[in-house]
Amino acid sequence: RLAMRLQKCWFCSSNIYPGHGICFVRNDSTEFRFCRSKCHKAFKKKRNPRKTRWTKAYRMARNKDLSQDLSLTFEARRSTLPKYNREALTQTVEAMRKIVQVRQKRQASHILKRLAKGTEMRRLADVRSVEQELHLVQAPHATRKIYDPDTKRLVAGADAAAAAAKQQRLDKRATAKAAAEARAKRAKLRAKTNAALTLDAEAMETEDA
Amino acid sequence: MVQYNFKQITVVPTAKDFVDIVLSKTQRKTPTVIHRHYQISRIRQFYTRKVKFTQQTFYDKLTAIVTEFPRLEELHPFYADLINALYDRDHYKLALGQINTARHLVARVGQDYSRLLKYGDSLYRCKQLKRAALGRMATIMRGQSSTLAYLEQVRQHLSRLPSINPTGRSLILCGFPNVGKSSFLNKMTRADVEVQPYPFTTRSLYVGHMDHEYLRWQVIDTPGILDHPLEDRNNIEMLAITALAHLRAAVLFFLDLSGQCGYTVPQQVHLFNSIRPLFANKPLVVCANKADVLKIAELDEESRALLDGLQSEGVPVMEMSNLTEEGLIRVKNEACDLLLKQRVEAKLAGKKIGEPRDDKPRPPMIPEAVTRKRQLAAQGIEVEKKPRKLEREIELEMGHDYVLDLQKNWLLEKEEWKQDAIPEIWEGHNIQDFIDPDILERLRQLEREEDARAGAGYYDIDQPESDDEMQAIRHTARLIREKKALRKLESRERKGVKGAKMPRTGKKMSTDDVEEGMEELGVDVDADATAHMSAGRSRSRLRDRSAQRRRDADVAADEERRSRSRSRSRPPRSESGVRDAAMAGKARLMAKQSQRKNNQLARKGEADRHVFIAKPKHLFSGKRGIGKTDRR
Repeated sequence: RLAMRLQKCWFCSSNIYPGHGICFVRNDSTEFRFCRSKCHKAFKKKRNPRKTRWTKAYRMARNKDLSQDLSLTFEARRSTLPKYNREALTQTVEAMRKIVQVRQKRQASHILKRLAKGTEMRRLADVRSVEQELHLVQAPHATRKIYDPDTKRLVAGADAAAAAAKQQRLDKRATAKAAAEARAKRAKLRAKTNAALTLDAEAMETEDA
Repeated sequence: MVQYNFKQITVVPTAKDFVDIVLSKTQRKTPTVIHRHYQISRIRQFYTRKVKFTQQTFYDKLTAIVTEFPRLEELHPFYADLINALYDRDHYKLALGQINTARHLVARVGQDYSRLLKYGDSLYRCKQLKRAALGRMATIMRGQSSTLAYLEQVRQHLSRLPSINPTGRSLILCGFPNVGKSSFLNKMTRADVEVQPYPFTTRSLYVGHMDHEYLRWQVIDTPGILDHPLEDRNNIEMLAITALAHLRAAVLFFLDLSGQCGYTVPQQVHLFNSIRPLFANKPLVVCANKADVLKIAELDEESRALLDGLQSEGVPVMEMSNLTEEGLIRVKNEACDLLLKQRVEAKLAGKKIGEPRDDKPRPPMIPEAVTRKRQLAAQGIEVEKKPRKLEREIELEMGHDYVLDLQKNWLLEKEEWKQDAIPEIWEGHNIQDFIDPDILERLRQLEREEDARAGAGYYDIDQPESDDEMQAIRHTARLIREKKALRKLESRERKGVKGAKMPRTGKKMSTDDVEEGMEELGVDVDADATAHMSAGRSRSRLRDRSAQRRRDADVAADEERRSRSRSRSRPPRSESGVRDAAMAGKARLMAKQSQRKNNQLARKGEADRHVFIAKPKHLFSGKRGIGKTDRR
């Protein structure tokens, strides 16, 4: 029952598949498993995984990833396992799929919520900068306005240049696409005629023969 | 109780040695070199360190003494009384107390002089203070010389005390001097105690060990006891009394039948009766020793009657002889058995042995197969034990068809499960880790939570208003950001490290640039707006008209004199932007003053940057008269 198991790397907490990594046993019989030499070398350099930014330990310690949740408590190493029971195991497998799905959803939402604060900050910064620093791109008494601070809208045709550039790009792409299609068509036609020609040639040869 | 080991008490040096040890240690372990010209703080620190070190060393050594000597309250009363008998408890306690006070005094001296050293203002004063401190500590120790000598004596004697286990099985041999106790000890154990015809040969307790009934016994030989009251007893007798008083042992009272010890049997019996109280609660055997010389039967009437009296009281009286060794084993067995019986009875009386702990039945575990077999056997049926078919036999039978199936002996609910391929890993998870009897329940709980959350809108991502307003603001903010970034870059370019920094006005700004800039900001400008900025206009505007006319004439004259290359439109820098003479004078003054500081400090200016000769020949060539030319 205990044949194959995915271990966790001590440093970065990633999965260690069978046949990978190194296991170091200290004199006090504590085991340290590493997924690759990067983690092993970092351990030998006495780096602290809780301070190394790319490790899971760092992320959990700084609350960047979901650390305390009901969906995470399902996966735990148990000291004794019950006897094999097919029904129980199939139930477990199905439940496991659902649990993992829920867990992933929750982890994603945790991160999104965390990042949402940033987007909110940036939105406020944008509003502030438009209020206070508009003079850098538009003189207060300008006649050709880009942004009208009273109506808080872009003036029509303001970014005509940008729109024109965009249109140019799109046209170029379209033309390029059209050109490529035309080329492909021509090549096909050429091939067809070639084939027809060779066939004719063969036919003629056989005719001759 | 603290465990004391009398043999491992550190040696107590004499006062003189003590002082020598500590002072030499101070000399070796602290820095020794100090000079008059060092900083006073350093000098103070140096001497303070010495004082503190000496204080600490004294303190540590005295503490070791005080802690390693046993405290009488913490010892078994047998040892406490023994020490009292040997060394006098009061004297002992006083000695240790004096060492304790010496410790505190030394500490106090050290503290005081460390404080004084803070105010030492020269090397000589600090040195004298240190000398005074160490001297006082040494004097304190010299005052303890008698105490230390006494403690050393005590220590030596303590380490030679016999190691008696006060709670072990022991036999105590007592009686008048010269009755044959030590000979008995020599015979029974491997001890080799001095046996001499004069009384008080044995002057202290001796222990021997022997075996009886597969157990270790201690046999304790005491010095003889004389027949006088307790108050008159001397130190040596007190040892025996102490042993008798505190050890739970069997007592063997020795009688000399022959009277060779110098006392008659009645006298010995009298002694026996007088120390009878000490034998309370102890199994007692009276050994009538030296039976080879005179047997009990050959005793006179008086003695015989006394011994019979003793026996009738329940005290066994046994004849024995050390010389011929008759009766020795009998005596030993009798005494040991009596003591063992007493000890066992005490144990039984103490703990409730044999009573059940609680009502839980704890029957013996007999396997089913065995009970069945017994039943059948009782009925008379013999069950043949079938030998199990070995795997090897099966293999040989099946030949090439044989497949090793390790799972076939598994004990599962259903047979068909035995051939299942059990999954272990799925998408980076161990399936083992999810196995839980309550998993379905917990999953249901989880799903309920999820539904609640979804219902409450936990997973709804707030879309920021993508209305026109926000889009406009975003677009404009982006433009502002780009503009700011450009400005930063320009500013950094201007701050370039290479070359001189041109002031902002140093760069020529054309009217075209001004127009372009304004157009970028959305202001339409025509040529009129920038007309006044062009350089054609003369910059020196003077209020006074007549003066101006004169100046114009002067300027014209000057210009004619100057070369043609100099353009009219550019006035000299000393005159550009200067309104009148006063201002010109001030400008001149300011220019001179701004250069003054740099010039006075002979600092490098703008003109000094150029290195005219990078590698002057005289520095980079030539051999040296003496020495090496590794560096230039």
